[in-house]
Amino acid sequence: MLKISNLHVHFDLDGTIVKALCGVTLGVNLKETLVVAGESGSGKTVTALAVTRLLPAAARVTSGEIYFNGKNLLLLEEDALRKVRGKEIAYIFQEPGSFLNPVYMVGDQIMESFLLHQGLPRVEAFAETLRLLELVKIKDSRRVFFNYPHQLSGGMNQRVGIAMSLACRPKLLIADEPTTALDVTTETQILDLLCELKSSFGFSLLFITHNLSIARRIADRICVMYKGQVVEEADAERIFCSPQHFHTKELIHAYQTIGTQ
Amino acid sequence: MIVRAVHISKYFSIEGGVFKRETGLVRALEDVSFSVEEFSTLGIVGESGSGKTTLAKILVQLMAPTKGVVEFDGSKISNFRKDMQIVFQNPYASLDPKMRIKDTLYEPLLIHRLAMPKQLRDKARELLDAVGINEDALGRFPAEFSGGQRQRICIARALATQPKCIILDEPISSLDLTIQLKLLDLLLRLKERFKLTYLFISHNLNVIKYMADSVLVLQGGRIVEQGDMRAIFAHPSHPYTESLLRSARR
Amino acid sequence: MNKLLLVGIAIIGFLSAAAILAPFISPYEPSLIDSASLLMPPSYAHPLGTDGLGRDLLSRIIYGARISLGIGIIAVGISLCIGVIAGSVAGYFGGLADSIIMRSADIMLCFPTFFLILATVAVLEPSIINIMVIIGLTSWMGIARLIRSEILSLREREFIQAAKAIGASHYGIICRHLLPNALGPVFVNATLGIAGAILLESALSFLGLGVQPPVPSWGNILIESKATLGVAWWITLFPGLAIFVTILGFNFIAEGLRKHWGYNA
Repeated sequence: MLKISNLHVHFDLDGTIVKALCGVTLGVNLKETLVVAGESGSGKTVTALAVTRLLPAAARVTSGEIYFNGKNLLLLEEDALRKVRGKEIAYIFQEPGSFLNPVYMVGDQIMESFLLHQGLPRVEAFAETLRLLELVKIKDSRRVFFNYPHQLSGGMNQRVGIAMSLACRPKLLIADEPTTALDVTTETQILDLLCELKSSFGFSLLFITHNLSIARRIADRICVMYKGQVVEEADAERIFCSPQHFHTKELIHAYQTIGTQ
Repeated sequence: MIVRAVHISKYFSIEGGVFKRETGLVRALEDVSFSVEEFSTLGIVGESGSGKTTLAKILVQLMAPTKGVVEFDGSKISNFRKDMQIVFQNPYASLDPKMRIKDTLYEPLLIHRLAMPKQLRDKARELLDAVGINEDALGRFPAEFSGGQRQRICIARALATQPKCIILDEPISSLDLTIQLKLLDLLLRLKERFKLTYLFISHNLNVIKYMADSVLVLQGGRIVEQGDMRAIFAHPSHPYTESLLRSARR
Repeated sequence: MNKLLLVGIAIIGFLSAAAILAPFISPYEPSLIDSASLLMPPSYAHPLGTDGLGRDLLSRIIYGARISLGIGIIAVGISLCIGVIAGSVAGYFGGLADSIIMRSADIMLCFPTFFLILATVAVLEPSIINIMVIIGLTSWMGIARLIRSEILSLREREFIQAAKAIGASHYGIICRHLLPNALGPVFVNATLGIAGAILLESALSFLGLGVQPPVPSWGNILIESKATLGVAWWITLFPGLAIFVTILGFNFIAEGLRKHWGYNA
């Protein structure tokens, strides 16, 4: 469904060129969970952002192709791309606070997508929003609807973020370390929620993490990134049982010795 | 015994109102006692808020305890600031951003008169070599290094005074997993080579298991369990230790 | 290096060079009275014209640069010394020292500085040295506050703790670690302070309590132009322009430095 091939991304930092991605190739199949695992600086976030051309201004895609359901996203017009963003490919990020606007009630922010993208009347949009909040396991959805982001905990905000990204029923959800800022108990809840929603909504999940125990828990396949390249891609079991590349071995060894707390 | 903590307590008072009256008391540490054998590693484990960092600061006398004393074996630790060193958690904050690496390393050598001006460069080079950093780092600034490299430089600075005992306050927890393991291995090698005693503070019991001979479990400022590493791993006696063990085994 | 900083340095560099080289580059003696050419408009012989006593305006402005820039730089130097010492002692040691220093700074800030200077100059005599010292003594408070707040936030950082742990002395910690990290914003502030001091000197001279004639400063050239403003615009325009360009230059440097070092304050 999503196919990234030989993607190169460079950053131009005051004249010095930094190669962030050097030939990344990976694919996400329909309804599968692909985990991109890697340490800081391996290029996993850049890959995620490049998919819908959300890279910062200093970044430049120098070569490569990104196909999504047959369309080359890198060649798409800005208008056409905007329809893909949010509607077909949605994101959730590490800091839920960063994409929730602090001056609006969270309910309004979710409702906005029903009003704008789907043209529902207000009453229906409100009902849809409440239904969505319940789907992400927010119990008193009516109260939460009228809350501002700062009144909610990190875990709650992340649920709101998930609800927001699912409002348009995307075909692909890209989650960039969505649980790193949360404590262990909340992390487990959010991961369970994502897996459950994935089967009920039927989207594909591209999940980015540095945490191998998360990868092990949710992945169908795992992609290991290292220095801007995918060094190994295999079924989750294979990666843990018989890692091939030296960096994967190193990762698994460290994981088994000192865990991921 | 090289260091002994005797009934250490640390309270922080909360002042409130216009007249700064004491309105509350945070008991960061309550009656903490232990001793560390020379050439061994004592692991101190606890979650955030358990008083680990407060304990570290008291041990290196960056903070005074409210009650209790820290005792040293005078035959082994004669000059406290030289023989006892600390490595902090955040490598991005613990190097002076305006100082070149060489000046950061020269500073302890000069303070304790451990090198003649002519030998400074060689000494600094040796220190960097011991922690696996290339000598061309000398002329550079901290901003040019990754977290793992900075932490190695911090370790080199701690080694500069030829200490007997080093307190490691979560030295690896902000780093990537593979880097963490490499640093732990480095610390183990350095311990052998320089005959060091470690007090290793961490929230990760797996890390403590990898490093320590004996362990001390802190919860809410109190010691809930202490003793030999292997014995505690096999038979934890306190429910809190058990829960830590369970999450470590996941 | 950004453009702003370069332009600022170019302006101030040019003016400072003119001030230093004044005896060599000025076409006439600044106080040479030529009764044959009173109030001459700009011409080939007198590029910026002459004043009511027939003195060459260009020469007077070049010599005036010595006085005005000198006062600005030295006055700020004095306030920098006091401010940095007071601020770092207050910030680093805290407690009683902090209270005493910062309360006296508050008291100083409560006085209307300009009238304090006016009164002092009226009692003492308005010599160049007195003016420098007085401006310096009454403008250190902002710098002290800035240094103190920088040091308060740096003091808890781990590299300061690390310096203590390797046995560095208070003096060593302040001079080697705290000041190098705290001085950036202070220099930005001080650069603006020079501009402020030059303006202050001009204002004092304009009121007749600044640099005394016949020594030329930009302020007292301006005041002498007052009487002839209707007939000789150049005597007002050019010293005014000199003050304007200098202040612009220092502001460019301050803004440029701030961008160069990446401060937001």
